[in-house]
Amino acid sequence: MAEGQPAQAPTAGSPENDQTDGAAGNSSLQEPAFEVEVELSDLQKDTDNPLGSVASFKDLGLPPAVLQGLFALNFQKPSKVQEKALPLMLATPPRNMIAQSQSGTGKTAAFVTTVLSRVDFNKPDSPQALLLAPSRELARQIESVIAQIGQFVPDLGIAAAIPGGIPRGEHVKKAVVVGTPGTVMDLIRRRQFDVSHLKVFVIDEADNMLDQQGLGDQCTRVKTMLPKDIQILLFSATFPDKVMKYATAFAPSANMIKLKVQDLTVKGISQMYMDCPGQSDKYEILCKLYGLMNIGSSIIFVKTRESATRIQQSMVRDGHKVSVLHGAYEGSERDSLLDDFRTGKSKVLITTNVLARGIDVSTVSMVINYDIPMKGMGDATHDTETYLHRIGRTGRFGRVGVSITFVSDKKSFMALQAIAQDLQIDLVSLSPDDWDETEMQVQRVIKSSRAQANFVPSAGA
Amino acid sequence: MAGSSPAARRTHQWSSPNRDRLSDLLSENRHTELSHQDALNAAQAEHDRVREAAIRVFREHELHEEHKKLREREERIRQQQRLEEERIRTEEHLRAEEERLRTLKAKTVPQLPPPPPSPPASTVNRSAAPKQPEPTPSAAPQVQSSLNAKASTFATTSSTVSGLPQVNGTKAEVPSPAQPSQQPPQALSSARPSPFAQPSATNPFAQPSITGPSAQPAAANPFARQATSQQNGQATQPAATTAIVSDNDRYVQIHQNLKRLRASLAQQAKSLPPLKARMGDMRRELRKNMGQLVNAKGGNKVQIEAIQRVLHESISGSVPSALVDPADYITDRREPSEGAIHNGRQLPSLFIYLLNTFSKAVINQFIDECGAQPLMADPVGVIVAMIFSNKSFLWRGKTLIDILMAKFRVVCPVLFGYRGSEKTEQGRKRLGWKREKGASWVPEQQHTDRMKGLGVGYAAIALRDFSKSPNTNPWPPSRYWASFAKIVNTPSAEITNTHAVVLRAMIEVSEERFCSFYGTAAIAALRKALVDFPNRAEIKTPGVSGLLVLGQMFRRDIGLEL
Repeated sequence: MAEGQPAQAPTAGSPENDQTDGAAGNSSLQEPAFEVEVELSDLQKDTDNPLGSVASFKDLGLPPAVLQGLFALNFQKPSKVQEKALPLMLATPPRNMIAQSQSGTGKTAAFVTTVLSRVDFNKPDSPQALLLAPSRELARQIESVIAQIGQFVPDLGIAAAIPGGIPRGEHVKKAVVVGTPGTVMDLIRRRQFDVSHLKVFVIDEADNMLDQQGLGDQCTRVKTMLPKDIQILLFSATFPDKVMKYATAFAPSANMIKLKVQDLTVKGISQMYMDCPGQSDKYEILCKLYGLMNIGSSIIFVKTRESATRIQQSMVRDGHKVSVLHGAYEGSERDSLLDDFRTGKSKVLITTNVLARGIDVSTVSMVINYDIPMKGMGDATHDTETYLHRIGRTGRFGRVGVSITFVSDKKSFMALQAIAQDLQIDLVSLSPDDWDETEMQVQRVIKSSRAQANFVPSAGA
Repeated sequence: MAGSSPAARRTHQWSSPNRDRLSDLLSENRHTELSHQDALNAAQAEHDRVREAAIRVFREHELHEEHKKLREREERIRQQQRLEEERIRTEEHLRAEEERLRTLKAKTVPQLPPPPPSPPASTVNRSAAPKQPEPTPSAAPQVQSSLNAKASTFATTSSTVSGLPQVNGTKAEVPSPAQPSQQPPQALSSARPSPFAQPSATNPFAQPSITGPSAQPAAANPFARQATSQQNGQATQPAATTAIVSDNDRYVQIHQNLKRLRASLAQQAKSLPPLKARMGDMRRELRKNMGQLVNAKGGNKVQIEAIQRVLHESISGSVPSALVDPADYITDRREPSEGAIHNGRQLPSLFIYLLNTFSKAVINQFIDECGAQPLMADPVGVIVAMIFSNKSFLWRGKTLIDILMAKFRVVCPVLFGYRGSEKTEQGRKRLGWKREKGASWVPEQQHTDRMKGLGVGYAAIALRDFSKSPNTNPWPPSRYWASFAKIVNTPSAEITNTHAVVLRAMIEVSEERFCSFYGTAAIAALRKALVDFPNRAEIKTPGVSGLLVLGQMFRRDIGLEL
């Protein structure tokens, strides 16, 4: 449409244009006399997208070493949650923050950047920031993000307060401490960990941490042992209403960033379900899925350890390199299994709910709910939050992601329908009858959800 | 007459002492100048006669040899023809059987398979001489030259040399003002064997004669000077881009041809049940195996075998599909070459189609995986090198990697020297910024992610070591150097974030291999890319900062001072 304004710059453009035409006599290139600016809506869309913003990291007033670290990691621009939350968290006097943002939109980088900006590295021996996560894996992951973003910070020390991380009797002499609540609590009680100089206290996956009986108590107890004026930051992709009440009490007079229900899922993830004739057909169908689209790494969520092992066997037979990770594995074994998966030594990860939350392996392009997530006594009800966190393992930071949920009987079908209702989404049905047809359909769905990811509802978004 | 001895001796000369002759000999004037002259003349005449006879014999022998050679050649061609004919007969037979099968199977409307796609012949093909059945380029000059024994050596030499002017001739068809400015370095570097010979020739038709860069790394300085002069040439001459554009546009054509091929296969599958039965499975098999590749040495044997099995099956013709001319999917002109496995004019369309599927999977794997995890590019690069150098998958002795490169040209044009503004519609298009179906551009984050993956992937393909391989490197390191140089030589005002991101991705996990191929020259190139280039960029985008930071990381981590 902008091509209809030829009056603007014909003279300026023409000499160069003549040359261009002369040289490209054989090419089919037809350049207009001048170039049309990219439409404003296209640029604005970047700011409405959870990953887009108008600001740059340089505008956020971060310490140079942190800025360098971000560039080293190929960070281009702050995501929305980073752009909004960082200035609030970095303001003086410090204020608490409760931030909700979709999975894979840079929450971890946001609080890590805050921590690194707040800590005084002239005192590398005194603990100044404490970060809590619900699982060992997640704590380790946060630790490595701190190390990466902080790679240009001189004297950066990080302590991992996870089971087996810090020997008994040894004092924590690092500026930043990352851990799980239980271990941290023990360390403080045993006076191995001096909390008197802590300035920032971060809880990742905050809804999960505050909601669960055990974890919630531990978090509260840890909090009571910390300095009263500490800055508290709570982050998660989900904050159910009842947890929000705890959260506001836990972090009083906090700044808040919240999402609406319809914005909960990342639009770039194509959500589908596979209609399996019966429980026993699932194995074979599972293997067939890998030819339908290009898949980097994938995660398969199952209910029991036994079915995890059985699926592993049939997938290995089909040529896949598979890691299985569930509660039966201990500490360092779990670390190395996950490391293999992260570095691409294995491409399929079969796991139970242990890993539903927070784990960021950016190459994951498919998540399979082999068994649909349920909760309550005897798996009575569907678990929407877990579903959301599970599919959030793919489509990280704007990448393409596919989630396929297996449905094989009436119960699973009803549960999935309830989840779709909670999230106000439509799921696409796939059938295992004609693979040519299914392949075409999958390709269509991926294309359209990619387009949807870029589509921005104009009103009130 | 040939082979006869040089004239019978005039025996009477030495016969019994003839009084007359003797008297002649013994005569008074036998020492006079006159008789001496006579004797000399006689000797001269005899000498000439012998010499002529010798030359004649030599020529006859040469002619004879020549005939023999021609006969042999003819025989070989006949044999090839016989083979070809046989192949056609079998195919015709196959088709007839197929038709019968179809009519038998369904007595519905007997639909013939649609004709293979007839893509527009390339400029290259149009300029090519009309195809003759097995032309013998070197034979003709030799026959002529045999008339003059001495000159013949020169004639053959010049016919070998004529390979070069021919290349230039084809290229000269595209009128480009930049041509003169680019030729001097080309001539200069081709004169002495150096790893830079290839890159400076932007000509895609030029033979990738250097399979690996020469062992001795050239001094850093020559490159630096050369690069600057090239850069100046481009900066002052805005039309330089267009010259590159028209060369590379062949890739866009190939890309279009491949789209047509895909449509044609979908059509063929409708009327060929055996094709339909197999095609989808083969496609999914390729895709699945590409996705299974892991980043562990020796961990991909099963996958490599599976991919090769599928391609073998398709090229063997055991699954019926129309035949197509592979020339539509490559940038150069090819004549049959001795010893090549596939030398005919056509290959099964299913084979080309699956190479296309394979290439597409490669590109997708780069985009989806390597943007996030650059280490995953290496196993994909290995597979690409293996498939496109495999002798069974060559056509007329050369690689079909242009199918993959056509895709690279479309998704990551920066690698081929294209430029554009990220703030304009046309500029984004030229930079390969993806547009979704709804006609809106993909978000910036996604674009940079794609570019990163493709840059990493390109390096993983182009920096492969073939020194221990019996095969020819389908995309040698010189190509990497060429792309590198094209990005680094972008005029300061036209450096975009896309350029910076691709360049960094090309370097990030490949610096070690780059240095092992090019030695000091690589260090000089890295300095240009990580210090000079970001410093002279007019707009300091995040990608530009990323290049500077990468330089610092090299200093910190591997002690590389640029």
